[in-house]
Amino acid sequence: MRGNDDEKLDALFGAYRAACGNPDASANFMPNLWARIESRQSFTFSFRRMANAFATAAVALSLLLGIYMAVPNLTNQTVANQSYVEALAEASTPDPQAFVDPVTLELADRTTR
Amino acid sequence: MLVDFGLITRAQKGDAAAFNEIVTAYRKRILGTITRLIARPEDVEDVAQEVFLRLYFSLDQLRKEEVFEPWLYRLTVNAAYDYLRKQRRRQEYRMSDLSEQQVMLADAMAGGKAEQDDQHHKKVREAVDSLLGSVSEADRILLMLKEVEGLSLKELEKVYNVNENALKVRLFRARQRVLKAFGSAEKKEGAG
Repeated sequence: MRGNDDEKLDALFGAYRAACGNPDASANFMPNLWARIESRQSFTFSFRRMANAFATAAVALSLLLGIYMAVPNLTNQTVANQSYVEALAEASTPDPQAFVDPVTLELADRTTR
Repeated sequence: MLVDFGLITRAQKGDAAAFNEIVTAYRKRILGTITRLIARPEDVEDVAQEVFLRLYFSLDQLRKEEVFEPWLYRLTVNAAYDYLRKQRRRQEYRMSDLSEQQVMLADAMAGGKAEQDDQHHKKVREAVDSLLGSVSEADRILLMLKEVEGLSLKELEKVYNVNENALKVRLFRARQRVLKAFGSAEKKEGAG
């Protein structure tokens, strides 16, 4: 339920509305507004231009980096074409003689004794 | 609505004349609202220009006609908040400035009935400003929009992006605080 104070407060707000009114803008309002809009636009434009330049530089750098990374791969292509097992086998091939030679027993000395 | 949606559509396409028309239609109302929200007449135009600047750069986001005015109010409230926040940071709110304004107001007053009216208006403004000074900034702005600017709950819903019930609760609490301050001010006046 609304009390007496509520009504008084409503009346006060109403009087306040009437007392304040809406002030008029000065003659410079519109020119100043457009000056601010244009200054913000030029800032946005230069920011966009800077962002474009940065993006272009980033793409160029990525390409250069890509080329740089690709060059060592081309020179070591033979190594790259081998599988891990093949490369390992090639690096540590044991002497084939060690397995192929027959075992020789020196029995001659014993029989002559 | 003070302008038709066709004008807004033209402004969205970059028509400067259409944008000028929108500003001309709304600037008085926006200036009035900002005057009541920030209480520093010398900065009102600056804040109003900031509102229209934000409007200019965000106009292309507007899709529905009916949200234009609440949206403009939201921009106004946000610009006022930003201004008040900056002011608080700078701690420039000095009583000497206020009295300077009051002197200027008094100087501008004409004689006779006009002077009496001005005195009365001044008293009312001071009373309400002092009452609303006793609540938080958020409550003050909300009450100002509802009670002085006359925005409906539906419009406030769009301005604040909250549902009606939450808004009613906030309004009720803010009003209760002002009523409390109002009651104690009346008691003081009665005793004095």
